[in-house]
Amino acid sequence: MNQERVYTVSELNRSAKDALEGTFGEIWVTGEVSELKRAASGHIYFTLKDADSELSAVRFRGRTLAFAAHFIEQGTVVLAFGKLTVYEPRGRYQFVASILQPVGAGALQAAIERLKARLHEEGLFDPSHRKPLPRFPRRIGVITSATGAAFRDVRSVLERRWPLAHLLLFPSSVQGENAPAELVASLDAAIRYSASGGDLDLLIIGRGGGSAEDLAAFSDETLVRAISACPIPVVSAVGHEIDAALSDFVADLRAPTPASAAELAAPDIGELATTLDRLVARGTRVLSLKLAARWEQLRANLRESLFRLPERRVETLWQRLDVAVDRLARATSQTVSDRTRRLEHATDLLRLSDPGLPLRRGYSLTTLLGSTEPIRDAAELVEGTRIETRLAKGRLHSSVEEVIGE
Amino acid sequence: MTIEETLAKLEEITQRLESEDVGLEEAIALFDEGLTLATTIKAQLEEAKLKVEQVIEKTKGTFSLEPLDLS
Repeated sequence: MNQERVYTVSELNRSAKDALEGTFGEIWVTGEVSELKRAASGHIYFTLKDADSELSAVRFRGRTLAFAAHFIEQGTVVLAFGKLTVYEPRGRYQFVASILQPVGAGALQAAIERLKARLHEEGLFDPSHRKPLPRFPRRIGVITSATGAAFRDVRSVLERRWPLAHLLLFPSSVQGENAPAELVASLDAAIRYSASGGDLDLLIIGRGGGSAEDLAAFSDETLVRAISACPIPVVSAVGHEIDAALSDFVADLRAPTPASAAELAAPDIGELATTLDRLVARGTRVLSLKLAARWEQLRANLRESLFRLPERRVETLWQRLDVAVDRLARATSQTVSDRTRRLEHATDLLRLSDPGLPLRRGYSLTTLLGSTEPIRDAAELVEGTRIETRLAKGRLHSSVEEVIGE
Repeated sequence: MTIEETLAKLEEITQRLESEDVGLEEAIALFDEGLTLATTIKAQLEEAKLKVEQVIEKTKGTFSLEPLDLS
């Protein structure tokens, strides 16, 4: 430094800054976090300290940084990477961190566990909050990365099992610093889209497997609360083997992978087809039984025939109807239109061969009293003959008053 | 009608059809109705093809559906 020269404060601070940055470059420092302050701007101000000394530090928003920084709290021992510099307006020297991570295995997990305990205490994980999933979801929203395996997996499962679905992706990054905020924003967009006519039946939120740190976005407190408050049923699908993401605890259903989320949330089209076939088969069976019963009754009626059909015609009718009823009963594997046609055929035959039909249509049948032989010609009778008239309902006994020939 | 509703209706029809007090004429009408419902869903199942789109919020509250680049 020039000892003759008088520096302004600004000049001195700038020189000090250059000197510090030039001397230290980028370095790692470890210490315990205290005086943590998360500013509305997104910057994190804190002090790093050990037993004897303190260092003020800042982590500016927008820097690429391990997501685990979100889990740093007062007292967390961290490893920070960055540069030592001077904040010129204050003449304060400070450490600007670009990487900030909890030290030691389990530090992140411990932070998640503490959050979990707090949310549990609050009742957020109460199973009574869980909404039932729709049996046949049609419009399924998926909140995940557009490029990740998760969406591909959900899509291919649904293509195979449930192609009736309309799959709607709400893209979001699923790891890194911005993941929690983007996931929350996409979930919010999905809820508003649904409410404004999008009518989503179900949401799947998740990603494929990754490191504990990658998955930590799904344990973000804001996201977990947003899922808990979501009016649409949510399936949490965060790929993991051991450690669960907190989203799993508030979702209406948890799945170990995105693919299994799709399997659990959607029915299988083949099973639905089988269910339908079974119902139609049950209907066909009971209808065949009812047809057969009616046919038996008709046979009995025909035996006492009111309208004697020629024997041969009756035989033919019986045979054709027997065949029709028999086929109908065994027709469960046949196409629906085949079955309908057979059914119509069988019922037509029943109608045609029903001797009661002319009576129901308003014709009546006249016999001599005590006879079953129909009278076809008025000339067979004389005045005073006692006759019986059969109507669709009931009979009349009367005497002939006048015979009018043709 | 949703598939849930159609299936519930079909189940109800089948149960009614199976009850003793339903005569042949009513049974045929029920069967016809049930068969139509089943055929409707089956047709949907046969034609079904998964639709995939992404939802982009252009401005707050304005959503647009866009095809998804498959590559």
